[in-house]
Amino acid sequence: MSESFEPNIVAFLCNWCSYAGADLAGTSRVQYPANINVIRVMCSGRVNPLFVMNALQQGADGVLVSGCHPGDCHYMEGNFYARRRLGMLKDLMEFVGIDPRRFHMSWVSASEGHKWKEVVQKTVDDAREAGPFQGFRRRQIDW
Amino acid sequence: MSAMLLNKDQWSAFVGKLAGEKKVWAPVKRGDIMRFEPLEEGAVPSLDFANTTVPPKTVVFPQTETLYRYRIGQAELAVPVLEGEAVLLGVRPCDARAMSIVQKLFRWDVDDPYYLKRREAATLVGLACSAPGTNCFCTSVGGGPASTEGLDLLMTDLGESYLLEALTDKGKALLEAAQDLLQEAPAGAVQEKEKVVGAAEKAIARSVDTTGIPQGLPGLWEHPLWQRTAAGCLGCGTCTFLCPTCHCFDIQDEVEGFEGRRCRMWDSCMFAEYTLHASGHNPRPTRRERTRNRINHKYNYFVQKFDVIACVGCGRCVNLCPVNIDLVEILRQVKEAL
Amino acid sequence: MDLEKLRKTAAEIVSRDDVKYLIGWRPGSFGYRVSPCFVQDAAGAEELIFSPLCASNLATYLTLVEKLPVPRGEEPDRRKVALLVKGCDSRAVVQLLVEKGIEREQVILVGLPCRGVVDLNLLQQKYPEGLEKGELSWQEGGFQLIRNGETATIPREEILAEKCRLCRYPNPVLSDVTIGDPVEPWETEADRGVEELEQKSVEERWDYWEEQFSKCIRCYSCRNACPLCYCDDCILDRLNPIWINRAVNFSENTAFHLARAFHLGGRCAECGECERACPMNIPLGKLNRKLAKEVREKYGYEAGVDPEAKPFLASYNPNDPEEFIL
Repeated sequence: MSESFEPNIVAFLCNWCSYAGADLAGTSRVQYPANINVIRVMCSGRVNPLFVMNALQQGADGVLVSGCHPGDCHYMEGNFYARRRLGMLKDLMEFVGIDPRRFHMSWVSASEGHKWKEVVQKTVDDAREAGPFQGFRRRQIDW
Repeated sequence: MSAMLLNKDQWSAFVGKLAGEKKVWAPVKRGDIMRFEPLEEGAVPSLDFANTTVPPKTVVFPQTETLYRYRIGQAELAVPVLEGEAVLLGVRPCDARAMSIVQKLFRWDVDDPYYLKRREAATLVGLACSAPGTNCFCTSVGGGPASTEGLDLLMTDLGESYLLEALTDKGKALLEAAQDLLQEAPAGAVQEKEKVVGAAEKAIARSVDTTGIPQGLPGLWEHPLWQRTAAGCLGCGTCTFLCPTCHCFDIQDEVEGFEGRRCRMWDSCMFAEYTLHASGHNPRPTRRERTRNRINHKYNYFVQKFDVIACVGCGRCVNLCPVNIDLVEILRQVKEAL
Repeated sequence: MDLEKLRKTAAEIVSRDDVKYLIGWRPGSFGYRVSPCFVQDAAGAEELIFSPLCASNLATYLTLVEKLPVPRGEEPDRRKVALLVKGCDSRAVVQLLVEKGIEREQVILVGLPCRGVVDLNLLQQKYPEGLEKGELSWQEGGFQLIRNGETATIPREEILAEKCRLCRYPNPVLSDVTIGDPVEPWETEADRGVEELEQKSVEERWDYWEEQFSKCIRCYSCRNACPLCYCDDCILDRLNPIWINRAVNFSENTAFHLARAFHLGGRCAECGECERACPMNIPLGKLNRKLAKEVREKYGYEAGVDPEAKPFLASYNPNDPEEFIL
């Protein structure tokens, strides 16, 4: 893989925890890779598996979904549903041959600016190792 | 130069010769399905099949094709360059006939440049049927195992060799290009071909008497047979997508950021949203109306407009329907109800 | 199989005033084909059959009926629908009940213990299908084929459908009437199709599915044949937003197949209809079975067994596995 490859990561962050956590990382001047494109959603339970698929189809090399820790969900149980749903999606994607390093899920609370940095670092490193994701891209094909 | 003999051990050389000049499409086996694909270099297609799973209409009428690309803020459209000349090898006479039937529609009120350009650039090398499939009924709808309509060159398997008969100038040109591989057909070859074709014709087991059906269908509009037939229908697009004469398409825009393309893709009258209006009203709300439309389109509307039945009796819809909805059976019921 | 009893029971059921029709199987128009039939009266019950060729899952027709608006002043038809169910079909019905896709009072289930149906492709390879009709029946250790007056015995494992090799519920899990004696569940084999793929590397799996998904013509017969794909507003038919483009290419096909398999995650009754209906022979069952297996092993949940259960994705357990979470 060429040294210069910078992966394109789409991150779906829940409004109440992870988005605030990422914000905290910013205000605390924690340095983390800038490959992340953040999309704020109200809850990780809002993340439709098709969002993940669409992101990959439209050119993302990796996808991150992040929400509140179990039990801390602003909507009481949204992240529990997300966990089941996206855990299954990860299994399915792996089964059809999408590198498991391209999809991650994490719990980051509003106070975990440093954890956010580690999560992003890991996501970006993994996606970089996995390389550009060409196979699934919409525009690759008879566009 | 119209009837030539090709020895079977020259087959691969013949294919190589064609492939050297033009893009050759031939039936390719993928698992247990067969479809027309561009021939890879050095590959020799096998002609041992009754009928391909996917009809060769895909070559001239791809399932998805880009009509043009655009960029927001830019006035010019990028129109794709249609591929150059192509040779379709091993087209069954029914599928070739289907192409000439569909062509009538694409030439009708407006000439469809995409279809017609591809069609004109294609040379169809037919392969006469010697062993028809279980559900073939081409002889009932105006075709036959060696029908030449739509073909440029007809090949007939004579055991040791193929008899090649040029039917158009394009076919003649092909024969001339491969001249050194061919021999002049002896006088008996044509009789031998007649024998093969005659045997194939006898082997076609299914038949339907279509007389009176086009005229009679309008009178059966509310007949219970449609409800009966449609009850078991799943409403999938197998019968229409794999039909060599089905030609309906939908046009959609695919936009990403500031760029987009307008493309057309096959559509099926068996889908609910095929007739769905923007208002939410659907003039064909149930599978009953959709099934009725499918039969009427092939055996009534098309006949009224172009004077030919838009069904070539290839039997694909009968073979591949997951719930055994049998076109021949429906036609038999129509005939009974007349 | 006691056809007499089946026909008699069916005739009794359809004669009731509160029953609209009974959905069963009858011999098809040629060869080994079987087609669904909608029995309206006692006479119609005479065509009913039940044989190893009756692979199709009739539960599909419970939800396939288009719901047209009822004209003013008319009452909607609330009569019951009776249905013949094998083990796997009954699981689909149970799953429909779990999801409240149908009401228990709407259906009458006639249970048929099943010794496994055949894979039509395998049967055709061995005994090519002709126009003449063939009759297949169960016998000790295999199947008996009668056609053209000739009888042939076919060993069970040669033509048994893949889903039946893995079947753990040969007897209906829910039924109002059962015809015939319960079948002793057989020793299931390991799911070789899924396991082989699991052992491959990620790249090899991608290559495998790339070849499979590229064949797809998007006729949606897998969706329509599935008894559990019954959304009124399917994402595939939606025009705004378009989740998955209509264009047929590898990218969209993969998105479609992932979405289809995912929507059946924790719901699939493993009846194998998607695979059977596919004209392109894409092994869709592998995707479904893989997810069913994960759900079973990781979450201890099995779809279509308990009508009182909660839907898998509409429930959670605080202790669900989360080792994949960073």
